Amino acid sequence: MNFKTTTTLLLAGAAFGLTASAATAQTNLRVFVSSQHRPDVWRKAFDMYEAKNANVKVTIETGGNTSEQQAQYLNTVMTAKDTSLDVMILDVIRPAQYAAAGWTVPFNEVLGNDAANYMKRYLPAYAEANTVDGKIVALPAFADAMFLYYRKDLLEKHGIQPPQTWDQLAAAAKKITEAEKDPNLQGLSFQGRAIEGAVCTFLLPYWSMGKQLVSDGKLSFDKETAVKSLKLWKDFVDQGVAKKNIAEVATDDTRKEFQAGNVVFAVNWSYAWGQFQGAESAVKDKVGVVKLPAVQGGQSASCLGGWEWGVSAYSNNKTEAQKFVQFLSSPEVSEFMAINAALLPQFPEVYTDADVTKAVPWFASARPVVETAKARPVTPRYNEVSEIIRTTVNAVLAGQQTPEEGATQMEGRLRRVLR
Amino acid sequence: MATASETTLVRAPSESGTKWWTRFLDPSERTLAVLLLMPAALLLTLIIVYPVCRLIWTSFQNLSLTSGVPASFAGLENYALMLEDPVFWETTWNTVLITLITVPGALLVGLGLALMANLPFNVKWPVRLSLLIPWALPLSFAGLIFAWFFHSEYGVVNDVLRRLGIEGVIWFNSANWAFAAICLTIIWKTSSFMALIILAGLQTIPRSLYEAAEVDGAGRFRQFFEITLPLLKPSIVVALIFRTITALQTFDIPYTMTRGGPGTSTATLAMYIHQNTVDFLDLGYGSALAVVMFALSMGVTAVYLRMIRAKG
Repeated sequence: MNFKTTTTLLLAGAAFGLTASAATAQTNLRVFVSSQHRPDVWRKAFDMYEAKNANVKVTIETGGNTSEQQAQYLNTVMTAKDTSLDVMILDVIRPAQYAAAGWTVPFNEVLGNDAANYMKRYLPAYAEANTVDGKIVALPAFADAMFLYYRKDLLEKHGIQPPQTWDQLAAAAKKITEAEKDPNLQGLSFQGRAIEGAVCTFLLPYWSMGKQLVSDGKLSFDKETAVKSLKLWKDFVDQGVAKKNIAEVATDDTRKEFQAGNVVFAVNWSYAWGQFQGAESAVKDKVGVVKLPAVQGGQSASCLGGWEWGVSAYSNNKTEAQKFVQFLSSPEVSEFMAINAALLPQFPEVYTDADVTKAVPWFASARPVVETAKARPVTPRYNEVSEIIRTTVNAVLAGQQTPEEGATQMEGRLRRVLR
Repeated sequence: MATASETTLVRAPSESGTKWWTRFLDPSERTLAVLLLMPAALLLTLIIVYPVCRLIWTSFQNLSLTSGVPASFAGLENYALMLEDPVFWETTWNTVLITLITVPGALLVGLGLALMANLPFNVKWPVRLSLLIPWALPLSFAGLIFAWFFHSEYGVVNDVLRRLGIEGVIWFNSANWAFAAICLTIIWKTSSFMALIILAGLQTIPRSLYEAAEVDGAGRFRQFFEITLPLLKPSIVVALIFRTITALQTFDIPYTMTRGGPGTSTATLAMYIHQNTVDFLDLGYGSALAVVMFALSMGVTAVYLRMIRAKG
């Protein structure tokens, strides 16, 4: 083959290749999914979209074990203005922050005039968390809240009702652990390690006493309530209701220890339910779940969780990515994820859907908890707020600070951040 | 510069109205020196001088990616904020403390290891290899491994203590014990590096000196203090410089072991810089902290260099 024919052939091949790709115009979307939220099931939802849109190919990327680790990774990708990532799942506390940094594309243009109505379909808390100054910065992926898990078998055995207040819980835990005489059995497990979960640990009793951390964008810290909240948890440790090294316990440790049958009561997110019913669980069919106890004389309060889909401002396929996210944030996918991954729906009506209640019966009673769950403060400087609260909770539980010292330090540092 | 003068000879009859660049074809010794140094100087400017200047410039700015407002000049505001930031003082103190504990610690252990490795073994490589392993292990791996060793329930340390009938402590639940665990890990990790450099130094000491000392009736102890130690001094100083600078930058081991906990009692300055820049995206404040760490490292290096120079 001489040079001329080779070149002609190559050129012809290239031309053919170009026309072929123009005809199908394949779009590749790269999606970041948190590894703790069943990427395997999300993959199936993505397959559903690929089946309907032959020109779109979705690649999944996972990483990090906790919300903070994932945020660290995404922060790096976004500050580098990396174009490789199109869609990312964000913890409910982050859309405001990502929008302020200019890292996500608002959905207003795609949704048009219908935007406000579009958001009304969701549970109000999620419509709110994803709207910043009238801009829809992300769409809800699924809902979440904290619940009290308990050992149904042990409570029945000792004739105890699920507790309504934290005091009742302490009494019940003591009674059961004393009677069971199992040195490995803990009364209560919660998150004491300096992770995002510890922020909720602090806020649960704080909110239960009717106080807010931030009102109208201003810090409304009530020191006395903060001391009581920190003291409540520290007392659990001192009384032996929670284990001594609770300052080492992260969210998934609580899940694992409860799943191994070593915990009577556990504060955890909804994801734990699916795992408790799994094949390797020692507590399968022995688990009850109710709303969290209240502080004596207060209201039960839960921490609003949930994750949102955002489209990267540096994506080369923004429009395709936004269409894809609209599909992911639809009642159809919500129902699919509720049935197959036990993720709580972001739509009120999906909770009572017949197929959903058949697969996850307790979802029907979960809806009021999610509806009344409180959102952590929405501020672009949330990472700093979170760090201040969680390190204080950790220091108090480890006995490094008294609840009074902790609350004083927390107030001083929060004031500097939320000026 | 034979070639230079040769070319001068050949090109000598060039016209008087020469272009400016012709001097590069026919460089004087001075120009040649500048030309030869240029690539290295340019590279250094690009990868060291420019970033450092940029860092210092950023430290004078209000630059937070989460604020939604563009960067603005802030003067010394970041530095003023730093002076009244208790976490800055705590992390700086922790960094200094880690340096003061782990540098001498690693030196002592490293010296012992080097002396052992220098003993006349029949087969030398297993000793050398075991000396290399901690050094070759990535810092974060060492941190994660030791975090499990010191875990209060599942860790081997408390397990051994329990078998000996001693009630172990919850290491990471107490600032002091967590700090001790971190220092132990750092010493374990870094002493092999010290040992390697010292071992190289040991091998340059001539046998004949020890033989002469023996003839003169000096004991082992005396030999060590009169011969080994003085002749090792240059190696020790080099090892100390490297170790001190890395100690001031301690990040990986406390980050993986305790994340700075309980509270912020084991956080280091490097971790606080990382937290402010990567987690909080407050680049202005993070840069100001980094400038302080840079100054600290420069100061320590200057002291050591002066020490070497003083010793001639």
